[in-house]
Amino acid sequence: MADQLQSMIDLKNIIVKFGDFEALHNINVDVKQGEFFTFLGPSGCGKTTTLRTITGFIEPVSGTVSVNGKDITHVPIEKRNIGIVFQSYALFPTMTVYDNIAFGLKIQKNKKDEIDRKVRDIARKVDLSDEQLQKAVSQLSGGQQQRVAIARALVTGPAIICMDEPLSNLDAKLRVQLRNELKKMQRDFGITTIYVTHDQEEALTLSDRIAVFNKGYIEQIGTPNEVYNHSKTEFVCNFIGDINRLEDELVTKMGLDKGQNHFMRLERIRVNREAQDGEITLPGTIESREYYGLYIKYYIRVAGQIIKVIERNDGINIYEAGEQVTVGMHPRNLMSYPKQ
Amino acid sequence: MNKKEGLKLDASLVWKVFGIAFFVYLFFGFMLLPCLNTLTSIFTVKDPTTGAADPLAVIRFFFAGNMPKFVLNSLKLAVCLVITVNIVGISIVLLTEYFDIRGAKILRLGYMTTLIYSGVALVTGYLFLYDSDGILTSWLAGIFPGMNKNWFSGFNAVLFTMTFACTSNHALFFRNALRAIDYNTVEAARNMGAKPFKVLLKVVFPTLIPTLFSLTVMTFITGLCAMSAPTLLGYDSINPEIVRLAGSSIADESFPQARAALLSIILAMFTIVLLTVLSAYERKGHYLSVSKTKAKLVKQKIANPVANVFAHIYAYVLFIIYMTPVVMIVLFAFQNYPSLRSKTLGMDQWTLINFFGAKDFEFMTNRGKYRTRTGAISGLFANADTVGGIRLSFVLSALAAALACVIVVVAVNYIFKNKGKKRGIALEYSLLFPWLLPTILICYSYRTYFNSTDVWYVFGQNLYMRENVRFLIVMAYTVVKLPFALRMVKAAFYAIDEELEDAARNLGASPLVTFLRVKLPIVLPSVLAVFALNFNALFTEYDMSATFQSSYGKSYAMVIQNMCHDEGRDGYNVNASGRRCASTVFIMLVSGLILYLVYGVGARDLGERLERRAKRRKRWQKLMQKLHISSGKEAAA
Repeated sequence: MADQLQSMIDLKNIIVKFGDFEALHNINVDVKQGEFFTFLGPSGCGKTTTLRTITGFIEPVSGTVSVNGKDITHVPIEKRNIGIVFQSYALFPTMTVYDNIAFGLKIQKNKKDEIDRKVRDIARKVDLSDEQLQKAVSQLSGGQQQRVAIARALVTGPAIICMDEPLSNLDAKLRVQLRNELKKMQRDFGITTIYVTHDQEEALTLSDRIAVFNKGYIEQIGTPNEVYNHSKTEFVCNFIGDINRLEDELVTKMGLDKGQNHFMRLERIRVNREAQDGEITLPGTIESREYYGLYIKYYIRVAGQIIKVIERNDGINIYEAGEQVTVGMHPRNLMSYPKQ
Repeated sequence: MNKKEGLKLDASLVWKVFGIAFFVYLFFGFMLLPCLNTLTSIFTVKDPTTGAADPLAVIRFFFAGNMPKFVLNSLKLAVCLVITVNIVGISIVLLTEYFDIRGAKILRLGYMTTLIYSGVALVTGYLFLYDSDGILTSWLAGIFPGMNKNWFSGFNAVLFTMTFACTSNHALFFRNALRAIDYNTVEAARNMGAKPFKVLLKVVFPTLIPTLFSLTVMTFITGLCAMSAPTLLGYDSINPEIVRLAGSSIADESFPQARAALLSIILAMFTIVLLTVLSAYERKGHYLSVSKTKAKLVKQKIANPVANVFAHIYAYVLFIIYMTPVVMIVLFAFQNYPSLRSKTLGMDQWTLINFFGAKDFEFMTNRGKYRTRTGAISGLFANADTVGGIRLSFVLSALAAALACVIVVVAVNYIFKNKGKKRGIALEYSLLFPWLLPTILICYSYRTYFNSTDVWYVFGQNLYMRENVRFLIVMAYTVVKLPFALRMVKAAFYAIDEELEDAARNLGASPLVTFLRVKLPIVLPSVLAVFALNFNALFTEYDMSATFQSSYGKSYAMVIQNMCHDEGRDGYNVNASGRRCASTVFIMLVSGLILYLVYGVGARDLGERLERRAKRRKRWQKLMQKLHISSGKEAAA
């Protein structure tokens, strides 16, 4: 679907250096109109640097940043028409919520009544009440502060909105709640969004497409399903979700190519089930288990190595430590990469 | 580049050039050159008999004469002060914050009086109590008629006074450090079997050592540079001697100016060494709590009943020492002339004359005739000298405090924009430079260097002459307060989230708008606090005033010091002691108000202010409703 949409942001051969250190190596990204695009990767991988290059806080040593086909590589930050929601929200503590949202409009020298109309309009859309508008930002909860940050970024009508780990300061429950709200808001506004996170669950649930970063390179760009189930590189398959790396003894027993590293997702392994066509079954012993309610995670010793398996909790088939089981793995579910 | 961009570039370039020129002028003109002049003046002495240059004459004189006495006396005072101030300072904090002592809140208030009552006001307060005709001395002399009424003078008096005057830093910083301790560490030590005293010694104290070290160094420097107490209580230390020599002439003694210069350079050398040691120690780092969930310190009960009683007695004795001069000063500020003379409180002698208004005084001359001296009894705000001193100190202190803030805010903004770059570092060090120099060196250097018409960069004006001295005082005040202002404002700038600046720029704000509308409002409470604290310190400042003293530069501290000269003689200046008490009360009120504004009102963030405003509005609405209801009822009736 993404291919059919019109290109909005185009990064071509971007190289960013800090002194002698090359932070981004030849980055190429094409973000489509209205897309929710996520930069995912561990700390220091270059995702925020790429975002800051798009927003104009960092100027690349080479390469171009284009928006709607127009080269903006050397356009000043304030003229790029890109809204940003910062990790800390960066709300001005000495201003009320209203003044925070109105700040950009005042800078643009909008008329007072127009500012008022726009501020109240966007506040309604992000679910902020008139009473909350008169409060100091310190008087709001984390979730409300995030809404203010989004409203402030959107009120000037930017073409693109960039979010730099906007959920990282929140507790787990609120994070999940706001994640859903964020996605809904993005759909409602229909704005092209670039989202930076190191949380793979966040990336998978929110994004239309994901770019997985590693050490200043992009390892893979794809839909959540592509990066999870068809990881292009060993790094991506290790970074996204939990996975089993099959060791030599198991590889031999399964008759797999020894010249490659083989990986299998936890939920693709089946315990004590009838063997399917082409599935390899091996005997194993339950070493331990972790009870998560919805599912149970088992650590099973198979062919001299510990294999992690996730089984749906049906309340009946629950295995105890020391119990003998049969483990089924289908070669089609393997993700294999050449040994380096 | 279009025309508009060209203009913008030119404007920023002009500001940059102006800024650089200003800081270069300030650093070289008012920091480096005057002090270098002092340094070189030591070695440019001429032999008085032959007129030939004798570069080492002052050094020889130093070792041959009695000059080492002043240095040794200052060192003795500094060493003793380190011991006594640490004992008292640590005691007052432990007694109010660590141990469970009854009435700790009241005790804390007493121990913290030095925050609003210090410097020359405090010394005169002690004199009011302890000098030859002081309240306590008079009372003791009544019991022991043979006692030496001049007992409160010299080294012991200075040490006693300064010990209780210099615990303010302990009351602030040591207290904060103690309160920052994670109580879980105390509980963990107790859980492992450590007794309370062992916990204090082995767990609590080690984390406080960095703070104590800083306090010790600062106390040592304070002792070394002591001015008001040695001057007023009579002790031969470096600073009073420098001021004396600065006012002396070559006709009276051998090269007094060069000797003053040598003493101030010696003082500077000590200060530089101590501050270098302190920074080296600070660079090693502090003990940082690794706790993620810090527990608040819980006061420790003293289990041993004897120790507990002893601790309570000790706490209240200290409280009495701190509070007696304050209470006496406040009470006597409202007593009339006869009771002040007799140092006895008269229940029918209450008056406000020491503050407001003036009265004539009738007295009998030696010839037995009655004479009336018009306005000889005058209040603080009715006495021309005192009002003049207050006005001058107010204006000069406010100007200097504001100037220091403006300079530092602009500089710190530049330093943060040029983090890690040589130009930022150079600017920071140039503003910290006065920290290395004792105040007396800066003032003495100004007094000698600018007391000439040869300094081209001040347009050949003699800045020590006539009204010009006021400009010199403002410059000295400003320069001396720059390092403190820089440290405080820099700390405030660290609190600005870098993303705020990014956010403002992203929303289209220029660097100037970002500075004025985003950064400045955030640091403003700290800047105002710096302004207020600097103003507070300068308003009653003594050391610099004494150095620059002239009829055109007579500050409030000097007025207070001189207030009791010739008290009552020939019917003049009759209630000078009362006015001095009233002055101290006035200073305490001003200082208290400033501290309240800084730490009470100024520390509130926007949220707190809005909450308070909402509460006030609710209360007002309730009141209006009540009034409305009652007026409605009345109308109905």
